[in-house]
Amino acid sequence: MVAQAGEFAAGASARPVRERSAWRGMWRALTRNHLATLGTIVALVYVVIAVVGPRFAPYPYDQQDLLNANLPPLSPGHILGTDQVGRDLLSRLMMGIRISLAVGVGVTAISVIIGGLAGAIAGYYRGPIDTIISGIVELTWGFPLILLAVILAGSLGPGLRATVLAIGLVNWAGFARIVRGEVLGLREAEFVQAARAIGLRDRDLLWRHIVPNVIPPTLVMTSYYVALAIVIEAGLSFIGMGAQPPLPSLGVMIAEGRNYMFQNPWVTTVPGLAILLIVLALNFFGDGLRDALDPRLRGR
Amino acid sequence: MGAFIARRSLRMLVILALASVAVFYSLRFAPGDPSGVALSPTALASAREAYRHRLGLDLPIFTQYVVYLSNLARGDLGSSLVTGKPIGDMLGYYGKNSLALGAAAFALTYLIGIPLGVLAAAKRNTWIDNLASSLAVLGMGMPNFWLALLLIWLFSSRLHLLPSAGCCAPVNLVLPAVVLAAEGTAVTMRMMRSSMLEQLSQDFVRTHRATGLKERVIVGNRVFRNALLPIVSLSGLRLGWLIGYALIVETIFQWPGVGYLLVDAVLRRDYPVAQFFSLLLVLVVVLANFLADLAYGVVDPRIRHA
Repeated sequence: MVAQAGEFAAGASARPVRERSAWRGMWRALTRNHLATLGTIVALVYVVIAVVGPRFAPYPYDQQDLLNANLPPLSPGHILGTDQVGRDLLSRLMMGIRISLAVGVGVTAISVIIGGLAGAIAGYYRGPIDTIISGIVELTWGFPLILLAVILAGSLGPGLRATVLAIGLVNWAGFARIVRGEVLGLREAEFVQAARAIGLRDRDLLWRHIVPNVIPPTLVMTSYYVALAIVIEAGLSFIGMGAQPPLPSLGVMIAEGRNYMFQNPWVTTVPGLAILLIVLALNFFGDGLRDALDPRLRGR
Repeated sequence: MGAFIARRSLRMLVILALASVAVFYSLRFAPGDPSGVALSPTALASAREAYRHRLGLDLPIFTQYVVYLSNLARGDLGSSLVTGKPIGDMLGYYGKNSLALGAAAFALTYLIGIPLGVLAAAKRNTWIDNLASSLAVLGMGMPNFWLALLLIWLFSSRLHLLPSAGCCAPVNLVLPAVVLAAEGTAVTMRMMRSSMLEQLSQDFVRTHRATGLKERVIVGNRVFRNALLPIVSLSGLRLGWLIGYALIVETIFQWPGVGYLLVDAVLRRDYPVAQFFSLLLVLVVVLANFLADLAYGVVDPRIRHA
């Protein structure tokens, strides 16, 4: 993978004009893959819902209406129906998607920045600084995330803060690992050696040649990690360690509907399907991107 | 090999030491303390103080930590602040249940995931492959707690085949084990499939085919062993995930295992219980990763842990 990314980039960076076409080639490979295209579209729809959805929601997400509780989907005025206290499921779903996506994207953004920086420094400068960073990464990597979240929920009190902190504290190490590996490989790539030989400064070398080539594999990983963060947040919210009611994260919605599952299964099914859909979409997008980046896999 | 074991043992000790400090401090920085659970909300401040003093909670945290470590070194694990039961006894009961659940889920994961992955690779692009791959994708995307609810709904509420919660008959174990194994099975199947495919495209396979070796022998024997490598090396990590998910699955099914106990202890601020069992789980994860690395060397003779 490292070698492939290097070769792939070597052709690209030698002539600036072809750099764009390399990205376009990747884009073409990505859009040829129907599942990946579908995944991209679904993910974009979620983003739109998260950003503007709650503004257009037909009801406030916490407005109760006991006379219209447990309505099935397609009821007049409530497209997705209502929950056990008559809250509109569509409005709650929109808010839930906003919260879950915000947690997923927010945590992953922090992990990418910290992990990316640490990995790049370790891979580029090597030596003792690499030993220290890799040591910390090895300690963190593989620590059970949910266990950490539960411990943190114990100290910070259950809530999104503990969840976000736990996911961030573990996941940055994943990014640090992959970025370090990429940078180590790129550092020895011919085009980087050549750029160094003509006297490019460290900073320019990093920004112009190394960073652009590290972004694609990091992006693949990012899509998986956003999905992972969404599932973990939902799981923690479900056992009462994450988002707290009445804030409707998708996990909270499933947990709240749990006791009414037999009267009204829709209350858990709707948010459950919403999680399943976004996780699959992000995984398909990530798989497609990975295949598009790996010339050996193109056209398989 | 000796140096490798020594280095890794040192690293495990560092992780455990750091984890013990982190767990100890974070629990004690938490708002609220055991007196909130043990004493009535209307208890006098002086009674609360006396209670804290009796447990040594009024000492500086560092001193408490040293006391805890020296007790631990003498084999005194302490007892629950809520029930008063000694932790050693709890370890036996909850540990046994968790071990049963974990072993069942681990076995399911590999007994289903590996053969299914081999089958999908051998029958690539047939309906078998498509079906197995689709199931795997579904298994990976489905949040396990939702899967738990759906299975409870189907098997307990509609079909009345299996109990929805409880302990400790084998019939109670079925649903939690399946839910706990679901994601790992999907991941293992996908990994095994792609690993098999990668091995099948190697030159040695072509040579084997050219010499007229039966396809069954090639796939089942030569390729399989090589393809198993990534599965073995990631099995330690998988166990870590299994333990994490066990916290959720045991809570849903009220399966009295370590995960269920830990979640409960954290919520009730039962310091000694939360401390001991979170450290125990960390130890298991670290050990599993270590063993997986050792096993990797056994499966692949090219890798020597120099």
